[in-house]
Amino acid sequence: MKKFFYYLLPFGGILILLIGLYYYLLPGYVPVIDEYTSIDKVPDIHPDYTGVVVPPNIAPLNFAVREKAAQYYVKIYSAGGDSIDVFSKNAQIIIPIGPWRKLLAANRGRNLYFDIYSKNKTEQWVRFKTITNTISSEDIDGFLVYRKIRPSHSNWREMGVYQRNLENYDESLVLDNRFHEGVCINCHTFYRNNPDKMLIGFRSAKYGSSALLAEDGAVNKIGTKFTYTSWHPSGRLVVYSVNKVNQFFHIARNEVRGVVDMDSLLAYYLLDSETVKTTPDISKKDRLETYPCWSPDGRYLYFCSAPMLWSDRNTVPPERYDEVKYDLLRISYDIDSDQWGQLETVLSAQDTGLSILEPRISPDGRWLIFCMCNYGSFPVYHKSSDLYIMDLKAAQETGEYKYRRLDINSDQSETWHSWSSNSRWIAFSSKKGNYIFTRTYLSYVDENGKVYEPVLLPQKDPFFYDSCLKTFSVPELVTGPVRTTGEKLARAVRGTRKIEVDMPITMATPKAGVAPQSWQERE
Amino acid sequence: MIARKVMMNPFRKLLGQNPGIRARTFVFFILFFLYLWLEVDLRLIYYGADIITNFPIFYRGWDFFRDFIAYPGGPVEYLSAFLSQFFYIGWAGALVVTLQAWLICLCVDVFIKTINADRIRCIRFVPPILLLILYTRYTYHFVTMAALLAALLFVCLYLKVTKKSTSFDLLSFLSLSAILYYLAGGAYLLFAVLCVIYELLFRRRVRMGLLYSLFAAVIPYVAGVFVSGISIVEAFTDLLPVSPKILVYETRRRMVETVYLLYLLLPSASLGLGLWRIFVKSPPLSPSRNGEPKAGPDKVGRKVKKRPRRRASDAGKGVLSWYFRSSKIRWVIESSLLLVIAGSIVLPANDNKLKTLLQADYYAYHRMWPQVIKAYHRYPNSFLIVNAVNRALYHTGRLSSDMFSYPQHPDTLFLTSKEHLIAHWKKTDVFIDLGVMNMGESALAESMERLGERPIILKRLALINMVKGNVGAAGIYLGALSKTLFYADWADNYINSLEADPNLSTDDRIQNLRSLMLKEDYGFTRYEPERILLALLEKNRKNNMAFEYLMAWFMLTGQLDKFVHNLDRLDDFNYKAIPRHYEEAILIYEVLTGSKVNLKGRHISQGTQQRARGFSDITVRFPRRNNKEANTQAMLATAADYGDTYFFYYNFGSLLIIKK
Repeated sequence: MKKFFYYLLPFGGILILLIGLYYYLLPGYVPVIDEYTSIDKVPDIHPDYTGVVVPPNIAPLNFAVREKAAQYYVKIYSAGGDSIDVFSKNAQIIIPIGPWRKLLAANRGRNLYFDIYSKNKTEQWVRFKTITNTISSEDIDGFLVYRKIRPSHSNWREMGVYQRNLENYDESLVLDNRFHEGVCINCHTFYRNNPDKMLIGFRSAKYGSSALLAEDGAVNKIGTKFTYTSWHPSGRLVVYSVNKVNQFFHIARNEVRGVVDMDSLLAYYLLDSETVKTTPDISKKDRLETYPCWSPDGRYLYFCSAPMLWSDRNTVPPERYDEVKYDLLRISYDIDSDQWGQLETVLSAQDTGLSILEPRISPDGRWLIFCMCNYGSFPVYHKSSDLYIMDLKAAQETGEYKYRRLDINSDQSETWHSWSSNSRWIAFSSKKGNYIFTRTYLSYVDENGKVYEPVLLPQKDPFFYDSCLKTFSVPELVTGPVRTTGEKLARAVRGTRKIEVDMPITMATPKAGVAPQSWQERE
Repeated sequence: MIARKVMMNPFRKLLGQNPGIRARTFVFFILFFLYLWLEVDLRLIYYGADIITNFPIFYRGWDFFRDFIAYPGGPVEYLSAFLSQFFYIGWAGALVVTLQAWLICLCVDVFIKTINADRIRCIRFVPPILLLILYTRYTYHFVTMAALLAALLFVCLYLKVTKKSTSFDLLSFLSLSAILYYLAGGAYLLFAVLCVIYELLFRRRVRMGLLYSLFAAVIPYVAGVFVSGISIVEAFTDLLPVSPKILVYETRRRMVETVYLLYLLLPSASLGLGLWRIFVKSPPLSPSRNGEPKAGPDKVGRKVKKRPRRRASDAGKGVLSWYFRSSKIRWVIESSLLLVIAGSIVLPANDNKLKTLLQADYYAYHRMWPQVIKAYHRYPNSFLIVNAVNRALYHTGRLSSDMFSYPQHPDTLFLTSKEHLIAHWKKTDVFIDLGVMNMGESALAESMERLGERPIILKRLALINMVKGNVGAAGIYLGALSKTLFYADWADNYINSLEADPNLSTDDRIQNLRSLMLKEDYGFTRYEPERILLALLEKNRKNNMAFEYLMAWFMLTGQLDKFVHNLDRLDDFNYKAIPRHYEEAILIYEVLTGSKVNLKGRHISQGTQQRARGFSDITVRFPRRNNKEANTQAMLATAADYGDTYFFYYNFGSLLIIKK
């Protein structure tokens, strides 16, 4: 009996300790705040989730209170449902996921309030001004696929395309280069936000440069590299750019890296016949065509095009590289007859004074969002790059293409935007707050094209981004998880079987056995 | 009886074994530790000098830990990453590796004793010797070694807990397998193989052996592929030396054969012994249920009585009776033999050139200039070392007067040739010292891709971004650094300083580097020393390093007209006299052009003039026009007295040859 008691003693002690910890430290503990002092100050929270519009299906927006105190208490509430109380002895406010989901689901379209209190050891509680956010009525697509890479310059070792479940913090790998030294994986493109139909491009000295076409679990390797790609709404063809991108460096500019398309054109791949074609208007010898984007009705191909300002195609950077500015053009197309129509200028660089890049049209066909920066074709390396919006419906009615700069832009580069399937959300990359690391932001777009204050992609640890040495680029919203396994995709990369295609026009694309040059986009 | 006790508690038995054996083991590992600490110096592996490319980073905090516990093998990787950080402190790293080697040795001993193979007990010293070779050759295989140790520890655990009943043994094997696979990934296979060999050959339980083999194939597949979602290749090879994660990279493959040997040693020895006992030595011994070796059936199933073991001392009594008479003499001879064998294997494996390269990098990183210059004498024909020596000479005020005391080449200043294209890490500090922050940043970004998130890289990236005024980016690098074990204080200090004053206006180093930094931008793909150095001097006329490197560049490339053209810049600095090599270059220029250089009141020293005459007197004796032999003779005749002059370099060119 005595022995039994001795065994029981430590277990009992541990149990008491755990119970104590649970009530004292874990979020379930709620202090009684009888008296407090109100101060007329909005608390400094990090990340700054103040005045943002929140998707109702987003993971909890954990944050840290940047007000020095010994204890913190946060009450999160809305017009309906149960409020959430979080008490913390450190500045990190970790919101329980279950109550958060319930609260957001019950309050679509309403305000979401954060009441923040802090207290020093000897003083009484202080209540800051309430932070007010808004819960949108519409969901964001549940998953985000992005490329994660260090801000590398010429070479890279670890590079991967990952998917993130936006309803929690789960991140999983789609494909990385762990077994293929030097393989560059990029340019993931989905058919209408559908995770089961996608293209991923890769370049490698060993395996050549190809595109992986994953469709309903099957993976095929297409023997040519797709750079910027856009699916035709029919799903029967993709238009892609072939870019001879060269990297160079800036000796004194804050962003060290620079890239220039020495040459580029557009081509299209027909899935049924497994052939590649192009047409003269999208592959002119004296112009640089890139960033294709189909209108949702499939009748127009939008793309960017700039005159080639150099005759010497070997000197990098070429002469007048910092004068290259892209126009936004469109060309009509009839898929049934495979006929291309007239080329039209939507917006000219001469009018805007800036280089127009990365056009993306909302799935409902109404809004066109694009980047503009001082010059060149790779806006992520330009702090001048901002997002702009154009109402295509109004343009169709008036014949005038009007655009406006979005309020969400920072003084750093904003790029790589993608639309959610319901046209109400965009995900985009921004270097806000630093010159180097791109982070993903989510912004709500209402029916009138107003784009609201963005939410930084939430992480479980509020300080996650403060030490994260990876950039998150090309965030693409998809409606579900990519189910094709990384192993399957990797097997296709390594495999010898591929769909051979003949390019109708000569362009520089690295072949197997040739080491990838120090070029191509990094972020 | 001995075997039984070993199985009861193998480690207790070993710790309490024959004091002589204990003492020998103790002496061996003390010497092992001292050799690693004082001779190998594991700090060199920690810094790596662009040679060790797989040294892991370790961050404090749950997030970093969580990444490792999510997949098989992660816990051992995590622990290895943590323990490896102690390489930062020489003695602590040596202690960690010594403990690892000792534990491996102990586990091998337990296994050997359990299979009743006392005669080959000496092989327990083989793994530590091989381990020492790995470190003597400056390779980093700590993680695979930790996985090996985990597998061996589990083998010992298996030997201890089993032998109760078949079902209990099977259950133990499965439980240990599941735990070990999670801890050590593919290294679990070593555990499984040793268990299979033990069951098949030493306990003669064929069905158990076969069953274990089946589990060895199934467990990684189920736990790895199905449960953890990793690829089949990863499931079976992670943490093994055959992993593609090692073999794909050339730098990680270095000395991997030795790691193979370490992994194969015990399986092959036990397999050989087991087969020998079955097919050669009759009768075999099989242990009883309680683990004690007993008489077992022979090949045809006859019961054979256990034969008394013949002691080696009996056999040798006649010839070497003196040897067996005194246990002290035996101890001394056997111990000496062990140390001689270990020494004769390890010492020749020493790679002094590699060590010197690592040392030069370490000293240069810590700005230990005299030691950098000293390192040159141990490996004089290395571009990388001369590059570091040039930087050391500049910082000790000797570049313009002593640089030709060392073999020079146009490539030694900036490592600009194709052969040194990936020597990014080596170039970094020269760029930072000069004030070309963007080139430093670019070289560091390349280094990070090649070497991983090393604290020394993060520290420099933080510094550069603070100099550039990129507070946000600097904060991210500092944030990462503050999670490391040994750089957290440095990072935290700067985080606090940035919060108080984002401009860091009281930080002299930052302010000094900012004053050197270029402002005028242009795009480039190739490093052009002349253009950049001139731009630096245009930005800040007082940039002494840019001036001396520019003049050195002109001298190295023989551009004496440009050299003379920039002599006026001497006025911007406080040189008491014209530096020796500059005087030599001026004299050569005057001889070549027949014109006098305006030195603005400065004079060529008597010593230099005498040396010029002396050099000329010798070389005129060898008319050298298109005559290779005469050229060689002239070079030999002047080397002793004038080998350290620019006259010599200018006349005979570089003695350094780029290895293609």
